[in-house]
Amino acid sequence: MKRTLTRLGPAFFGLAVLGAHAGAQDLTDVDEIIARANAAAYYAGEDGRAHVRMTITDASERSRVREFTILRRDVDEGGDQDYAVLFSRPADLRNTLFLVNKHVEGDDDRWLYLPSLDLVRRISAGDKRTSFVGSHFLYEDVSGRRIAEDRHELLETTATHYVVKNTPLDSDGQEFEWWTVRIDKKTFVPTTMEYVDDTGEVYRRIEALEVQNVDGIPTVTTMRASDLRSGGNTVSEFTDIEYGLGIPADVFTERTMRNPPRRWFPGR
Amino acid sequence: MAWFVAAAAAAAAAVSPAASQDLSVEIHGFAEFGAAARVRHDPIQPDDILMSEARFRLELAHFTDRAEFAFKSDFTADGLTDAVEVDVRQAAIILTPASWLDVEAGRQILTWGTGDLLFLNDLFPKDFVSFFVGRDDEYLKAPATAARLTFYSSLVNLDFVATPVFEPDRSITGERLSFFDPGTGSLESATSMGGPLTPSSPARELGNGELATRLFRRVGGYELALYGYRGFTKQPLAFDPVADMPAYSGLNSYGASVRGSFAGGIAHAETALYDGEDDAGDDPNIPNSQFRGLVGYERELAPDFTGGLQYYAEHILDHKRLLTASPNPMFEPSETRHLITTRLTYRLLRQTLTASLFAFVSPNDEDAHLRPSLSYVWSDALTVAAGANVMMGGDATFFGQFERSSNVYLRARYSF
Repeated sequence: MKRTLTRLGPAFFGLAVLGAHAGAQDLTDVDEIIARANAAAYYAGEDGRAHVRMTITDASERSRVREFTILRRDVDEGGDQDYAVLFSRPADLRNTLFLVNKHVEGDDDRWLYLPSLDLVRRISAGDKRTSFVGSHFLYEDVSGRRIAEDRHELLETTATHYVVKNTPLDSDGQEFEWWTVRIDKKTFVPTTMEYVDDTGEVYRRIEALEVQNVDGIPTVTTMRASDLRSGGNTVSEFTDIEYGLGIPADVFTERTMRNPPRRWFPGR
Repeated sequence: MAWFVAAAAAAAAAVSPAASQDLSVEIHGFAEFGAAARVRHDPIQPDDILMSEARFRLELAHFTDRAEFAFKSDFTADGLTDAVEVDVRQAAIILTPASWLDVEAGRQILTWGTGDLLFLNDLFPKDFVSFFVGRDDEYLKAPATAARLTFYSSLVNLDFVATPVFEPDRSITGERLSFFDPGTGSLESATSMGGPLTPSSPARELGNGELATRLFRRVGGYELALYGYRGFTKQPLAFDPVADMPAYSGLNSYGASVRGSFAGGIAHAETALYDGEDDAGDDPNIPNSQFRGLVGYERELAPDFTGGLQYYAEHILDHKRLLTASPNPMFEPSETRHLITTRLTYRLLRQTLTASLFAFVSPNDEDAHLRPSLSYVWSDALTVAAGANVMMGGDATFFGQFERSSNVYLRARYSF
């Protein structure tokens, strides 16, 4: 198998799109399916922007809300990417900015700007399988999991979906034994991902609840991550989705952390 | 100061033409109650309560096409002084007059450098009373009235901060916290001295402002910076024999820092040369020059569990001459103060509960400051925090002098 230095994930942040048309024939090469799903999930156009509202509900039905604007720019198609996330809710996170220079080789560079201290904090690439701002989504769901980290098997081809099983090559570093993904045959949008523990139980699920056509690009606009053990879940809703804005590279630097440009963060 | 007001007013006029009638203002803030009590009685302090305050934060922001107007102020009813204090933390205009220039002019919080609760090249004002009595970490930084210009280019970026009137740290005055006075060789407080310490400030002249600069750029994943500062020591470390008061002496500082990824974590290193007024090092009333160095490393040890370690040294130049000239050589600081800090942070219950321990320990001065804390996010609006500040060491050591101010605190904050 050729080493593909790209990533596959659940098409987080509504920036999932169709990479290429599948054609009439079903694909049988699992690496090609995964590569197309990855392109669909993470490399829509050259850049994108969305407003995200996350509702985190715990097992006792208490809910918390996070709202933010996310910008994404591809440095290389299918390769390095930049992300900037500017929070507007809750009050204590307002104007906090999270910046990522994602690298397909080597560690990502990540920063957090804390406005009350005027402090640019560098955060370690560290464990990507920790919660993103207390939600049921993980950092790895946001920036994607490297394709080369897993061995892929095509389990099933249904009338509408490919079902692929992904087993980590290195068993350390993640809490699951394997995960499966259902990929829409027409759009290549990953629609359901299930994570299986060492007892064979599915303990975590991510689902695309709603897919809409944005600028001709099928885009996940509502998705849910569920913790099947504790019963909590997080629903992310994406609005104001735009692609191909021409966001310049220098937006993803320290300058934006201290003074987020309104041109790219219009809600500000 | 006049040039500064004039410049800000001109800038404001330029960016908000009369035609613009959009008066929308974003309003945010919080209400907070905080209390702290000593864990041991301090015989020279009137109160065992260190903090009892109700704080109201108001934040206003107004945007035009070209500029942002930001206001952030605390109104605090202080149960110890029975006074209502207003602390304007930000009152500034922020604009981008050119694609290569950002300006923030007015009252603002300023921070740079790589240290975690250690500051070498960050010579912007701090509030050490807040730091020791258990207020939120954000209050370690005090505001300054300054103009910050940041020039951007593809080669290197330049920060330039002019503070027309010297803005010292909010330092220890003997109120709430007693401190060691090498002159008397004992602990003193506002009560024991018959009033708080009031250091003599430099005259408010154009030449007595502060200038701070930073040249910075990224090389790959590494952040490199060079720093320069011209002003005064931020703490009243000099002594004015005429006024018989602590005073601020002139200080130039030069430094450098680097920060980047290393072995799955973040490493940082920073140095600074503090070039003081006492060139020969033999004037006991003026602090000697110093060399400061810092290296640190932080990484995730397990999911939601982060550890950090720093080594910091403060080396006094011409230390022998200082001891020879000093009237109290036994109370002069050691030639090199070594300091180790650790930070452990563990987040539980889907990051709603944060347990943290920050520790400063000096192996050669044998003093320490421990900051354990627990904070719980009850809801998006309500956060509750509890913790302690434990200071240990001999009376003449930096942290040891505050031993009888060791405290436990509780805070509740409702944000909107």
